[in-house]
Amino acid sequence: MNHQIFQRTGRLALLLVVQIVFFNHIHIAGYITPIFIGYMTMCFPYGSSRISLLVWGFVTGLLFDIFSNTAGMCSAACTLLGMMQPALLKHVMPRDAGEGFSPGIRSIGFAGYLAYAFFCMLVVNAVFYTLDAFMLHDWPFTLLSIGGSTLMAVLLCVCADMFRQKAKRG
Amino acid sequence: MQNLVDFLLGYKHWLLFLLLEAICLFGLFSSDGYQRNVYFTTANGIAGSVYSAISSVTSYLHLKAVNHELEQENEKLLKQVVALRGQLRLAGSDSASGGHILPTCYHTVTAQVVNATLHRNNNFITINRGEADGIRPEMGVVCSRGVVGVVFLTSAHFSVVMPLLNVNSKISCRLRQSEYFGTLEWQHGRSDITYVTGIPRHAKVRKGEVVETNGYSDIFPPGLPIGYVMKKSDSSDGMSYLLKVGLFANFQTLREVSIITDYSQPERRSLEEKADSLYSD
Repeated sequence: MNHQIFQRTGRLALLLVVQIVFFNHIHIAGYITPIFIGYMTMCFPYGSSRISLLVWGFVTGLLFDIFSNTAGMCSAACTLLGMMQPALLKHVMPRDAGEGFSPGIRSIGFAGYLAYAFFCMLVVNAVFYTLDAFMLHDWPFTLLSIGGSTLMAVLLCVCADMFRQKAKRG
Repeated sequence: MQNLVDFLLGYKHWLLFLLLEAICLFGLFSSDGYQRNVYFTTANGIAGSVYSAISSVTSYLHLKAVNHELEQENEKLLKQVVALRGQLRLAGSDSASGGHILPTCYHTVTAQVVNATLHRNNNFITINRGEADGIRPEMGVVCSRGVVGVVFLTSAHFSVVMPLLNVNSKISCRLRQSEYFGTLEWQHGRSDITYVTGIPRHAKVRKGEVVETNGYSDIFPPGLPIGYVMKKSDSSDGMSYLLKVGLFANFQTLREVSIITDYSQPERRSLEEKADSLYSD
């Protein structure tokens, strides 16, 4: 249990550094900045406690908010992802898979993982950019931001999963 | 109680989710940023609209009281105007040097119109004040706009008023500027028009000139507005003018009236009755 918490804390710290140092400075076409921090919540295995998912999601988002000066936006997005993650994972995982099933390209296939990552990142980016825009007066810009950032974040999720698999094998 | 605890435990992740989202949104709106400004601007806009709607409703509900206050205020102002006009008239004439000055200040009792007929020859208005309130027959009745009629019958708590819109109503009146006097009579028809008879043909009558009470009777003090001249024509005998007068008082919407209670001058009345009796003897 403690090992799991340390592992997740280390993963969170690494993700946070990567997000804040690199991804926060990416502004493709002026409006695409991938919010990749949701990857942390996305990777929780099936059957994880809902409370732990919510708390981890909230803490992850909160840390992002503290370092990015985006008060409440990312924590709201990641908490929502924490709430939705089991339902999203249930749709793509094999029927015979039980508790402890970990989402990844190898376990659910490339297409399934792509779909899972897409919906997870869509939730995070949609909430984040909607709260950022807050009003619908410039909705095409908001939609482009959500769409572009989601696709970027999905690409990063695929790369991160490949990197994890390699690290496991190594 | 146990059921409630079980229920809350069953949905604890939902409660935690709502709590965490609330904390996030609180943080978002507490920060000194764009969202906070938008939130407060929108919230103020919505609150403003709600308050405006509530204010409209309460204003509407208080219209009766406001109307009552306005009626009283108008009546007070009308009294002042009549009193000042009377003083002005006296100051500009020789009669100011001596003699008994007619009272231009008077007291009134307000009453609500409880029934009215306007489309008969003999129209009457019933008001909710009677002898118990000091109302007697032949007291003048006015509204904030001008003369309404004369008290005709009284009971303990109600009175019947003969309005200007009664073919038997005859009110002594004058033209405000030229001071020619005549008699105000109503002919069956429109409820906003009466006629003044007896204005001599040499009188210069201007359209729009105000017709007011002349104080010859002991019912109305002089100077109370009645209406304005709409049209001048010859009377049937050709000896005088017949003036078509638009009434100031709107009888269709009349709700509140005032009865002039203390204008009657018993001394004058008894003297006039004595003169009548001597002549008849």
